[in-house]
Amino acid sequence: MYQLLIHQRKEKLRSPFWSKNILLNILLGFVGFWLLIMALTASIAAIRIISEFYSGLEPIEVFTGLLFYFFVYDLISRFFLQQLPTMSIQPYRTLPLGKGKLLHYPLIRSVFSFFNFLPLFLIVPFFIMVVCAGSPAIFSFAWVITLLCFIGVNNFLNFSIKKQFISKPALILLLFGMTGILLFLDLREIFKVSQWFAKFVMYISGAPVLVMVPVSLVILSYRLAYRTLRKNFYPEESQASRTTKGSFTFLSRYGETGELLGIELKMILRNKRPRSVMIFSLIFLGYGMILYDDPDNLVKLMMGGFLLTFAFALNYGQFLFSWEGSYFDSYLANKISAFHYIRSKYLFFAAAGIIGFLLSSPYILISPKIIFVNLAMLFYNVGISSILLLVFCTNNSTSIDLGTSQIMNFQGTGAIQFLMIFPLIGIPLVIHVLFYFLGIREYSILGIGILGLIGIILSGYLMQMVTRLFLSRKHQMASGFRKIK
Amino acid sequence: MIKFDNIIKVYGAKFSLSIPELIISQKESVGLVGNNGSGKTTLLSLGIDLIRPTTGSVLSRGEIVSESDEWKGYTGSYLNESFLIPFLTPMKFLSFIGQLHGKNRSDVMNFLDQNSGFFMENIGSQKYIRELSAGNKNKIGILAALLPEPEIVILDEPFSNLDPGSRSWLKAKLRKLHGEGITIIISSHDLNHVTEVCNRILLLDNGNIIKDLSTNNETLQELENYFSMQVSSYTD
Repeated sequence: MYQLLIHQRKEKLRSPFWSKNILLNILLGFVGFWLLIMALTASIAAIRIISEFYSGLEPIEVFTGLLFYFFVYDLISRFFLQQLPTMSIQPYRTLPLGKGKLLHYPLIRSVFSFFNFLPLFLIVPFFIMVVCAGSPAIFSFAWVITLLCFIGVNNFLNFSIKKQFISKPALILLLFGMTGILLFLDLREIFKVSQWFAKFVMYISGAPVLVMVPVSLVILSYRLAYRTLRKNFYPEESQASRTTKGSFTFLSRYGETGELLGIELKMILRNKRPRSVMIFSLIFLGYGMILYDDPDNLVKLMMGGFLLTFAFALNYGQFLFSWEGSYFDSYLANKISAFHYIRSKYLFFAAAGIIGFLLSSPYILISPKIIFVNLAMLFYNVGISSILLLVFCTNNSTSIDLGTSQIMNFQGTGAIQFLMIFPLIGIPLVIHVLFYFLGIREYSILGIGILGLIGIILSGYLMQMVTRLFLSRKHQMASGFRKIK
Repeated sequence: MIKFDNIIKVYGAKFSLSIPELIISQKESVGLVGNNGSGKTTLLSLGIDLIRPTTGSVLSRGEIVSESDEWKGYTGSYLNESFLIPFLTPMKFLSFIGQLHGKNRSDVMNFLDQNSGFFMENIGSQKYIRELSAGNKNKIGILAALLPEPEIVILDEPFSNLDPGSRSWLKAKLRKLHGEGITIIISSHDLNHVTEVCNRILLLDNGNIIKDLSTNNETLQELENYFSMQVSSYTD
């Protein structure tokens, strides 16, 4: 077991990504540190906040009730962010290691995840300062054990949820839907789940023998995760059923460009990482709910229009060419005109923009203005952003492993991915400010739309420029793509 | 036909390949032999503009390959897996390559009928290329290289991972193509294969062409002697 732990450490430290992206790792470390500090502060300040807002109520019970929300948030954020420590067990399968050991290993390893430390920072200070100080020892002990158990349940449950999501996405969406309804009922004070949760925890703490209940919940969730992993032990069996449908044969009619576009669409649909980018982009559409809180705020509307019409194009497009890293050579050695290749990318962005525009059109219910702003931003994105993205992406030279998960996966991410967003968002903002000082603020959206239209009209010429740039950089890109294999 | 002119290729600080002059004419079928790291793949990659030489240039029919796309129309190549698109079915991949060279589906089917001795029977299966075995991937890549009816064929270790039947089929095929006047450039670790297929052998060592032989009865023996001498010089 210890050897396995060491191997996994090495796998991480020696991965080309780790050594290359020190900056990104520092950034992630900083975010993690900040979260821990926030949790610690919240925990220490909790008693004061509770006695101010919930005066007259039992503080421990209130705190426990609030923790319910945290556990829900915790499970969701784990689902999206926590990487399961599934070291590739393939090389070990023929070695004299028990099957059980290989499966228990990732489960035990997951206990040492950041996601389990964060709740400790939230619970332990409150436990020491308030619970221990004011309650009998047995009560305090039972209370903290119960809550720790819930962290464990979340941790192991996440394994099962994630694995099930691949094979039965509907089931998991249903689960999330139900959680959403419960939260809704709770916040509307129709059925206070959080209060029931708090009462449940308090009751157990009062009768310490009942601590067996949360403990057995942990064991149950562990068994469930173990069984799920065991079922997925044989990779060729666990492959989700796939179809070769969606052959996009109609695109072949549009010559080489259409053919290349068809291949790209297949790549997205038939590979894990681009597919999950697509799904995440759909979630992105929900941003409108937050951004459109004030329909008279033109800047917010612009941001909304920019992001909503181009969510997928941005998320996917920032790694353009990198997606094709593993077979880029086949494009270089075959009779493919570089111009047609670039044009297929441009048309892809345009199509993605139009789809984004259509999907975000229901926001018209919030304000009819939104549709006009979005249309102008669509023109801008197709005419200007697409070309800029193409230009930036000729700097991409890290191949992306298509089969890996998107979650916390920064393969392909370089400084350029962080920087490219600034000019894209900056141009419309500059136009807006310019129009503002000219005193014709109302026309800035029109100006942005017209700029986009000019870009679309000149697209043939712009694409030729990008093609020349691409040709001058293709060797560099290709040699980068060949490195990680 | 293909001319390597004053080529030097340096990777980082490491010297990789140096060819003062190499001319491969149309009637030739050339075999590259040499140990790992001797520069075989580098030479082939330079020939199809996958990498750029540090100095010098590669010309195909008088045109510099990095400045023209003409050669793509008459050159069929397969170096490694990165020439395959992993998430397509073999059939779709081949018809894609065919389409790029103006061939429709029935042209592709005809081509497959003519070469049915080579591929596995289940070429029409719905498996994706990434799910195929190494040998079958190799076969798809070679077929894709031959499909456009190229006038120059460039293959890197085409015999590796092939089953015995396909090996002898491929040998016969390459000889037949050579007889039809098609230029062949391959590399191989199997001295038997190259001496059977090629009429000119280039022996590379540490990035230099140290022998340029036209194949005759003694060539195989000569090459075997060379490599066994190398081994004995290591063990001494």
